[in-house]
Amino acid sequence: MRNLLLILLLALPVSAAEVRVSAAASLTDAVTEIARLYEGKTGETIVLNFGASSILATQIVNGAPADVFVSADEAQLNRVATVVRIPLLSNRLVVIGVPLLKARRIAIANPEAVPAGVYAKQWLQQRGLWTVLAPKIVPTENVRGALAAVEAGNADAAIVYATDARMARRARVAEVINDGPPIVYPAAVLRDAENAAGGRRFLDFLRSRDAGAIFRRYGFLTK
Amino acid sequence: MTLVIENLVVPLAHFDLEVTATMSARVTAIFGPSGAGKTSLLDAIAGLRALKSGRITFDDVVLSDLPARARRIGYVPQETALFPHLSVASNIRYGGQHNEAHVIDVLEIGHLLDRGVTSLSGGEQKRVALARALVSAPRLLLLDEPLSGLDWPLRDRVMQFLQRVRDDFNVPMLYVTHDEGELAAIADEVVALDSGRQTADSRWKPS
Amino acid sequence: MTDAAIIWFTVRMAALATALLIPPALALALLLARGTWRGKSVIETLVALPLVMPPVATGLILLKLVPHSVVFTWRAVVIAMMVMSSPFIVRAARVAFENVNPRYEQIARTLGAHEPRVFFTITLPLALRGIAGGVVLGFARALGEFGATILVAGNIPGRTTTLAVAIYDRVQLGRDSAAWPLVIAGVVVAFVAILLSEKSTRRRT
Repeated sequence: MRNLLLILLLALPVSAAEVRVSAAASLTDAVTEIARLYEGKTGETIVLNFGASSILATQIVNGAPADVFVSADEAQLNRVATVVRIPLLSNRLVVIGVPLLKARRIAIANPEAVPAGVYAKQWLQQRGLWTVLAPKIVPTENVRGALAAVEAGNADAAIVYATDARMARRARVAEVINDGPPIVYPAAVLRDAENAAGGRRFLDFLRSRDAGAIFRRYGFLTK
Repeated sequence: MTLVIENLVVPLAHFDLEVTATMSARVTAIFGPSGAGKTSLLDAIAGLRALKSGRITFDDVVLSDLPARARRIGYVPQETALFPHLSVASNIRYGGQHNEAHVIDVLEIGHLLDRGVTSLSGGEQKRVALARALVSAPRLLLLDEPLSGLDWPLRDRVMQFLQRVRDDFNVPMLYVTHDEGELAAIADEVVALDSGRQTADSRWKPS
Repeated sequence: MTDAAIIWFTVRMAALATALLIPPALALALLLARGTWRGKSVIETLVALPLVMPPVATGLILLKLVPHSVVFTWRAVVIAMMVMSSPFIVRAARVAFENVNPRYEQIARTLGAHEPRVFFTITLPLALRGIAGGVVLGFARALGEFGATILVAGNIPGRTTTLAVAIYDRVQLGRDSAAWPLVIAGVVVAFVAILLSEKSTRRRT
């Protein structure tokens, strides 16, 4: 009788398996809504972990539990081992505030580590503007920081995502960037996932029409 | 009741304390100028200071083999050192409750029991410290300059209490002082100490 | 998770971390306060490290050391808080122990007390005021802990999202107005904690 109880106790966690999802902070609202929808439909449990993509990748590399990783750029996803990998979303860069060539201070997210900043720098280099504008560039810790800088008047222009610009209260979009580098938010099931099957199911749902509608509502572009 | 100190050596800051003595009087005074090592000698006997070498025996008990808590030595230090966070009663009872009522009676501190120790006068503090040591049923009582820090009229009064303790309780006392008047008042024998050594004419009885 | 739930969760974790920390921290502080022994300076340095290192660096180390089953759970939150708060408690307790006049402990020994009794009836009560100050600082530090927590416990709403992480989260997402209630709550809780400790240490005199 005791042995049976033990077996049952050991079996329980497996039958109530959760799907652990690490997602870039910028996707917090969209992914939370999609996860609740998924839980309602399937009865599975999604455990969400949000943060900067670099931090999420560091966690995974160091053995933290995760089944699915949705990153804000390919570079961070490249750091981890995956079994299935898809481009999930895209975004657009915009310039807010005054036009770049008229700006005295331009805020962008840290071009060394933050995806939005990396894309911004790539675009400026493409346009041949990087060296000219470099002395006016103010790097911020994250892309919302760049937005906040313009809102507070500490910078008169910034390069942010279109999704961020929607949040702006005062700053206006000066230019929509259509010739920027391809922005991809890739999603993957991780090689070391404890619940790979559940991870794949959720990844499929992220690509579904219902999920796509939610992402678009938040301003992202779907593939 | 005999305290035997054999070839005691205690390293101090400027010299080594070296003592060999046998003390069997009711009150043996340890007499000498300040800095002579008197307090260190008491600390060594109480087990609060390590010996470099030597042996301390009381009757047939080798004290120097025991930790301080097992030596059953009552100590009234120069700073009195009443536990500031405990009441007078708790201080007195810390080491036991032997003969408590009688001790409190002899030292006339019954009215102070519920007081905090910081509210006591200098003389009252000395008496409470004395009670604390006595109530733990010590085999030997060490007193380090018990009258220090007291004004003149108080000194006489506390000396009277010390004499009462000497007479009423059967506990030998080692009494450290640099004052000759106190020797005359209470000591049966004197060991003189200077710079860690017993001086040439070190054993004498006060006139 | 509601704001109130986040605040309550953080307070519970910080209280648990502080409570778990006290016995080992006091033991360590006592060891450091008493004499010299081999390896003492190494231990002193280790104790001070979380104070001096960037919290994220500490978080990275914890990520490597903490077992897989604990990462991303509330236990990781508690561990991160304990590590980051420990210097405050250990150092304050050490100073408090060093300031206890050794004469009191010596007299207690002559009165027959063995070491545990000396510690609990003499040393600890006399050091309590200083220790309490360190404990409050440690608790406040745990409440505000962010850098190490976010690495080893993640930001899992409903499970490991603490007050500091939630505030950062909301500011990051541009929801400043949603962040303010948490900020104010954080200030109020810290204020109350310090006020209570001030009152308790004052009563002792």
